[in-house]
Formats: sequence, structure tokens, C-alpha cells
Amino acid sequence: MPVIQTESEYKPPVNGSYFAHVNSADGGCLLEKYSEKRHDFECALLANLFASEGQPGKPAEFSSCPLNSDEDVNKWLHFYEMKAPLVCLPVFVSRDPVTTGGLFVPLFLPRAGVLSPLADAASMSGVRAVRISIESACEKQVQEVGLDGTETYLQPLSMSQNLARLAQRIDFSQGSGSEEEEAAGAEGDAQDWPGAGSSADQDDEEGLVKFQPSLWPWDSVRNNLRSALTEMCVLYDVLSIVRDKKFMTLDPVSQDALPPKQNPQTLQLMSKKKSLAGAAQILLKGAERLTKSVTENQENKLQRDFNSELLRLRQHWKLRKVGDKILGDLSYRSAGSLFPHHGTFEVIKNTDLDLDKKIPEDYCPLDVQIPSDLEGSAYIKVSIQKQSPDIGDLGTVNLFKRSLPKSKPGSPHWQTKLEAAQNVLLCKEIFAQLSREAVQIKSQIPHIVVKNQIISQPFPNLQLSISLCHSSNDKKSQKFATEKQSPEDHLYVLEHNLHLLIREFHKQTLSSIMMPHPASAPFGHKRMRLSGPQAFDKNEINSLQSSEGLLEKIIKQAKHIFLRSRTAATIDSLASRIEDPQIQAHWSNINDVYESSVKVLITSQGYEQICKSIQLQLNIGVEQIRVVHRDGRVITLSYQEQELQDFLLSQMSQHQVHAVQQLAKVMGWQVLSFSNHVGLGPIESIGNASAITVASPNGDYAISVRNGPESGSKIMVQFPRNQCKDLPKSDVLQDTKWSHLRGPFKEVHWNKMEGRNFVYKMELLMSALSPCLL
Amino acid sequence: MGLEMPVAEGKSVQQTVELLTRKLEMLGAEKQGTFCVDCETYHTAASTLGSQGQTGKLMYVMHNSEYPLSCFALFENGPCLIADTNFDVLMVKLKGFFQSAKASKIETRGTRYQYCDFLVKVGTVTMGPSARGISVEVEYGPCVVASDCWSLLLEFLQSFLGSHTPGAPAVFGNRHDVVYGPADTMVQYMELFNKIRKQQQVPVAGIR
Repeated sequence: MPVIQTESEYKPPVNGSYFAHVNSADGGCLLEKYSEKRHDFECALLANLFASEGQPGKPAEFSSCPLNSDEDVNKWLHFYEMKAPLVCLPVFVSRDPVTTGGLFVPLFLPRAGVLSPLADAASMSGVRAVRISIESACEKQVQEVGLDGTETYLQPLSMSQNLARLAQRIDFSQGSGSEEEEAAGAEGDAQDWPGAGSSADQDDEEGLVKFQPSLWPWDSVRNNLRSALTEMCVLYDVLSIVRDKKFMTLDPVSQDALPPKQNPQTLQLMSKKKSLAGAAQILLKGAERLTKSVTENQENKLQRDFNSELLRLRQHWKLRKVGDKILGDLSYRSAGSLFPHHGTFEVIKNTDLDLDKKIPEDYCPLDVQIPSDLEGSAYIKVSIQKQSPDIGDLGTVNLFKRSLPKSKPGSPHWQTKLEAAQNVLLCKEIFAQLSREAVQIKSQIPHIVVKNQIISQPFPNLQLSISLCHSSNDKKSQKFATEKQSPEDHLYVLEHNLHLLIREFHKQTLSSIMMPHPASAPFGHKRMRLSGPQAFDKNEINSLQSSEGLLEKIIKQAKHIFLRSRTAATIDSLASRIEDPQIQAHWSNINDVYESSVKVLITSQGYEQICKSIQLQLNIGVEQIRVVHRDGRVITLSYQEQELQDFLLSQMSQHQVHAVQQLAKVMGWQVLSFSNHVGLGPIESIGNASAITVASPNGDYAISVRNGPESGSKIMVQFPRNQCKDLPKSDVLQDTKWSHLRGPFKEVHWNKMEGRNFVYKMELLMSALSPCLL
Repeated sequence: MGLEMPVAEGKSVQQTVELLTRKLEMLGAEKQGTFCVDCETYHTAASTLGSQGQTGKLMYVMHNSEYPLSCFALFENGPCLIADTNFDVLMVKLKGFFQSAKASKIETRGTRYQYCDFLVKVGTVTMGPSARGISVEVEYGPCVVASDCWSLLLEFLQSFLGSHTPGAPAVFGNRHDVVYGPADTMVQYMELFNKIRKQQQVPVAGIR
């Protein structure tokens, strides 16, 4: 197998190839190492191969090669002939892996034109030679190709460089005997160098078999290298063939079983111990990590991170960073408030923690500093009292420290602090708005604003006081706050409504009717903006504007509450005072802030189904009560308590007479006359008296009732004439039939009558006067 | 729906006004405050006129206390614009295009009477310090179409104006059946003011 290095002008060719060549002597094929035989660089190849010397710039030349090219050795191109072993031998032509001198000899696989051995043999015997073209691939390796196509070639190594490379590969520790001999011979010959040439010539003449003596000191080295190279190349070839697995494969050699070790149990034990140790190591590492994290957590719980606490704070409140400080906003400005208070609080790090001592339970690394005027707690107290006779009492506001609303469990202390401060701010805003309106709005009775109290008079003799009770947390003021004022007159409903109203006002500034609005237009309701271009007149404009302020609204609400409670008290007092007839009140559940309603029924006990003619619907407004009667009359009463009472009393007296009327229907008595407002008899101071006269079924008797709210009831019975003894006999009436007519009246001692109530008594009377039908 | 007219003054302006108001009060009208209608004149600036040198148009900017948040701008026979009070500020900005005619501000002030559905405004027309005439405006609230209630208005006017009752105003000329609006009122006022402006001195004889 030819592995060759072509001859270059600088060094002798190294031919480490196995050479199968035609022995000129006998025409057979000899496979022998070429280098052993020849010293020249001749090998016969039968292949299309490119042999190159790597001379710079030398173009490849095609030339035909006669079969036997032993004789034909060209300095520049070497024509080789080779049998066609490629088919037979399992070894491929391969590339010389040792790039000695940088010359690559890319040997191509034979293409078409490979002669068969038979043909080869035939050619050997003198048949016409087949021309084989050989082309060298390149003389030198191309380093780079320029943009215009010019090629730059790698400079071949100089002789000394090459030599140095070769010397590096030499393993001087391993030497062969022949090498030493050769080396010795080489040394010996070195001195005979000039004469070596002749001896070499002599040797040449001696024949092929004799090994050429070393002509230079490195000869042995060279030989060893060459042999090593050859071996390596063969090995490489074999390996590459094997890798391909197409032509050759490696089979594992079956090995004998290993001799058993002396102590298998010991080995197993050792191995088990080792594996267990490994597992234990992993577990221990994990346990260590866990304990470390647990202790870390415990530490962290106690010393909570400032940043995590800050994050919690940010979830509830708006914060911003100004320089070094962290400021927050607890005002309602973002919700639509126009109150000028800044409402900023500062977040500070709590560094007064003594790490040596035990960390307190409620330790927090974060602290908030609220403005000093928002400290403590506040609420708006709305109360209605009888007017204080002394105006000097004003201003002595009865503060009492209302207990702080319980904070949600688990909420940090800064949350409660900030919420309390926000509440104080809102109360301040409410009070500021109320006092501003109290001063600006003109009302019939002016409102008084003194210190932290606004006093107005919704009704005569009545005083509505709205005060801002702000108690700070100082120890000093707590002493005073212990004296408790009666909190019963504090109207919680109104306080709550005030909060609602101010929030309503906030929402209005942000409502969709206000925003968005054109940049040039003033702020306000959308329809107000249109009132100019649409030429609204004053009525239309007034209807748009809600002219009521907070104070007016709350006063109206207070009035209504007061009126409602007083109406209820009036009805209840009447109900408890007067048993006959009974008064019942059914209050409706659904009320307005300015209107409530109650249905009042006046009945007699036991006769509810018969006597139900008096049913009143009272609509209690802000300043007056509207009464709708069952018979359709609508009466408007003022806020005066007495009016309602008088009215109810008059209705009660009317009820009695109505009851008699109904009773008469049931009993079969005839109603002779009935009048709700009778004009006879003593004048009543409350309302009017009513009267009814009923006659018995057979006409014998008649009962006449007159009932007045003040004068009470008066019942007279008319007897037939023949029952009255004291009637003077008269000659005019001759017929006895006239004695059956009803005669004089006699009063009944009503209070001596048996019976639970008026109607019952009346029933008894009627039944007593009716003849029993047996 | 309203109309107004100048009133002849045999006596001084003030006396005539007093006479009218007394008549109204006797009729049963109730006083409801005061009113004011004023008018300023602008003409288009010379710089915006074309090369032909056409005469600049006159624009009147008027306010009426009946529509307190509005401002009216109208040309002689042209459109009437109803805007909000920012229009006055706009006029200041448009100084380059509209220049105020000097001594042109004319206004009428007086009392406002309500007589059931009728709204009567009797005012003194003044130009600067001097009183130039009287304006009477009668408005019948329920009706919005001029032609329907003109006869009623006429009858009402006769009841307290007596002989000075005028004829139908020109604004109703061709638009009898169109809905009346505040712009029509302002057009009538503008015509009245123009007429009064043309009379240089207080007239003796009756006009309309």
C-alpha cells in the first residue's frame, strides 16, 4: 500500500509504503517493503493518483504513465504504477496522516481506468500500455483565496523546521538494536562522510538485499521513525476500515471468567457500606439545610424585614418617595375631596430595637408619623336638645372620649393609626364645610358657630347642635375625658348621614357628569355648561342647581327625625292614657330621610270589625304632617305637638259616635239623625262634638248620644209616653194610641253602666231597650 | 313669546315709565325684580375688508338678564348666535377683526312684572348717561308660536298701553308659524335700539 511522500527538492522522499511491485526478474508480484529494498523513491502504483510535491505554483500536469514506470522517474512528476490491489486487498489507500513537510498527498480512490489484475498481468507481459493520467491536486496547500481569485499558498516548512518537527516525535527512550547499530554505524560513518558516498556506491553495487549504511547521523532515527510511522499508518487504516463496518468488523474475544475473588462477602459488605454512606451523606446534607432554614425563619419572624412591611403598607395606602423620605397620603383628595389639608404622613424605620433584649410581640420595623393635628380620634356629635336658656353655655362643648373603634384583629398598628387619622381628617372636613355654610347661608334664624360647635334652631324651643369632638391621645386630656356626659341625645344616624353626605359630595366632583369636560368650559354639571348656548332662563337654571348645602340637608334630616319621634311619642302617650277607644299605630318600614308614614287606627276593643271607620294615614315630612282620612279628607298639621294631639282626640270622640251608628245597623236600630259636627250644646275647645240619635226597632225607645272630645259623652234615652209617670194628663189627647209615642228624654248614668267600653255599654243598653222576641 | 316697542313720550321718560308701571300694578301684576338688556356694536375691521372696499358689517353683542348665562351675537339681517358668557372674552381676543364702535353701548333697564301668564318688562333705554326712550316687552309664556297668540297679546297691550299699541313686529313677517325663541327677542331689541340710536334727540311726537 503506497503511503508515500513525494520527493521534494529539499529532502529525500520518504517512502514508507508497502510496495507490491512487479519483480522484473520473474514477473511475479512481490510485496515488500519498499524502503527495505530501494532507497529511491520509486513505487509503482496503479491508480489514478495525484502526487504532489507541494512545489509552489506548479500546475498539475497530466501525463500518461506507462505501466512500468520503474524506469521512468520524473523529477517533478512521479508516475506510479500499481497493481490493482484495491479490489483484492482489504486495505485502502489512505492518506498519510503524518504530514511530513506539510505535503499532503491526497490519494484518490481509483476511478475508472483501473485495470484488472488480469489485464495488469497482461500488460506486464508487454501488452499495449494503457495510459493513465495523473494529476497532482495541488503543489501547496492553499491558505486563502483572495477576492480576485488569487490563491495564497502555505509556505512549506524548511528543512530545519521539518526536522525539528520530526525530532519531536521521536521517542528516544525506546530504541531498537538495529538503531543503535545503525547509530554506531552512523557515527562511525559520519567521519567517513565524504567517503561514505563511495561506500554507498559500493553498497549500491552490492545489490538490493544489503541494507544501506546510514549516510548521516540521523539515519537510524529516521528508520525507526519510518517504521513506527508505517505501523501507525497501518493501524490507522485498520481502524478506519473497522469503523466503517462495511468491510471489516471487530469481534470481541470471549474472555474466560474472572477468577473469583477471595472474599465475596467482604466485598459486598464494603460496597454496601459505601453506598449507605453515600446515601447518609445526602440525607445529612438535606437535614442540615432544613434546620438552617427553620432557624432563619424564626429569626425573620421576630425581625421582620422593613421592606416587606413597607410592601404591606403600600397595599393599603398611597406612598411616594421624596428625596430620602417616604411620604404617604391619607387625605380624600384622590376620592374627590377639596379640603386643603395636605394629609401627608411619613414612614420611618423603627430602629430602636435592642437586639439583646427579647423582641416584643408587637414589634414592627416600620412606624408612621402622622401630622400632629390629626392625632387622636374624633367624631361629629349631632344632638337635639331643648334650647339652653343661657347663651353663655355655648362653646362649652361636652366632649367625651368615645372608645376607639376596635381595629380588625391582626391589622398592624400603623393601620389603626392611619385609619384614625383619616377619620379625624374627614370629621374636620365635615365640620369645616358645615361651618362655612352656616356662615354663608342666610336663614331666618341665623346659625351660630362657636369654636367647634354649630348651633341652629330647627324648631322653636329646640336646638340642634353639631360639634366636632376631637380628643387627642395625651394623658392630660384623658383625665378630663373621664367625666362622662350622657350620650343618649347623640344622634348616630345623623352622624352617619353626615359622613354619607360628604362622600356624596366627593363623588360629585369626580362624577361622569363633571368629567370629562371641554378644556375651555368651567367645571360643573354638564347641563349647566349647556345653559349658556341654549339660553336657559332663570327657572331652568334653578332647577339644575342643587342649592342645598350640607348644613341644610342635615338640618332637614334632623327636623324630620325630631318630628317623627315626637309624633310617635304623642301617639304612644295617647294610647297609654286613653283606653277607650283604642289607638293603634302601624309604622311603615320603608322611609325616606325626609319622610316617614304611619297608619293610625282608632278602634273599640271587641268591636274592631264593626267600628273601623276612623283610619288615618299620617305622612310625616320635614316640617308638617299630612293626614289623609279614610273618607278622603286631607288635613295638614304643623309640627306642633298639640295640634296632632287635639286632632287625634277629636277623631277618637268621632269614633264613638260612628261606632254607635255601626252598632245600630247591627242591632237593627234605626238611625234617626247623625252629625259629625253638631252645633248645639257647649262649645268644645278641641274639635267639635258629634251626635247621633237611634230608634229601637219597634220605635218605642230612642237613644240619643252626644260625644265631644272634651265634654265626654252624654246619652239620653227617650221613653214612650205611657212609661213616664210624671207626665201631666191632658184633655187634648183623647186617644190612647198617642201614649205610645216617645216622650221625654232621660239621661243615662253612663259611668254606672256595666260594660268594658262605650260600645259595649251601648250594646247592652240597646239590647235592654229592645223587647226580647220569644 | 314677546315683543317690544318704543313708546312715545309726551312727558319725560321717567314719568311715562311711572305711569306704565302704575297701570300695571293696578291691573294686578306683581313686581318680580329688575331686568337689563344691553347691546354693544362692533364692525369688521378694515384690514379684513376686500380690495373692493365693501362696507364692514355691523355685529351686535347683546346680553339679557332673562338668560343670565348666555350671550347673543347677531348681524343685521344675518344669523343670531347664542353662546355662553365666555363669548365676551372671545371678542377681546378677536380685537383684530372686530372693532368696537365708539359710544355704541346702549341698554335698557327696568322692572319686571308678572301677571299670570304674562311677563311685562318696562325699561328705560339709555345710551351713555342720557335716557333715549322706553322699551316695553310683553311675553306670553304658554305659547311658542307667534301667530297663535298675537291677537291675545294685542288685546293685553291695549289694556294698559291704550293708544300706543303698535302693529305686528317685523320679525313675525314671514315666519308666523315657526317656534319662537330667545333669538327672536334679541332681534327685536336690536331693531329697537337701532331705531332709537337713529333718533338723535328725544322725540316729541309719537313714533310708531
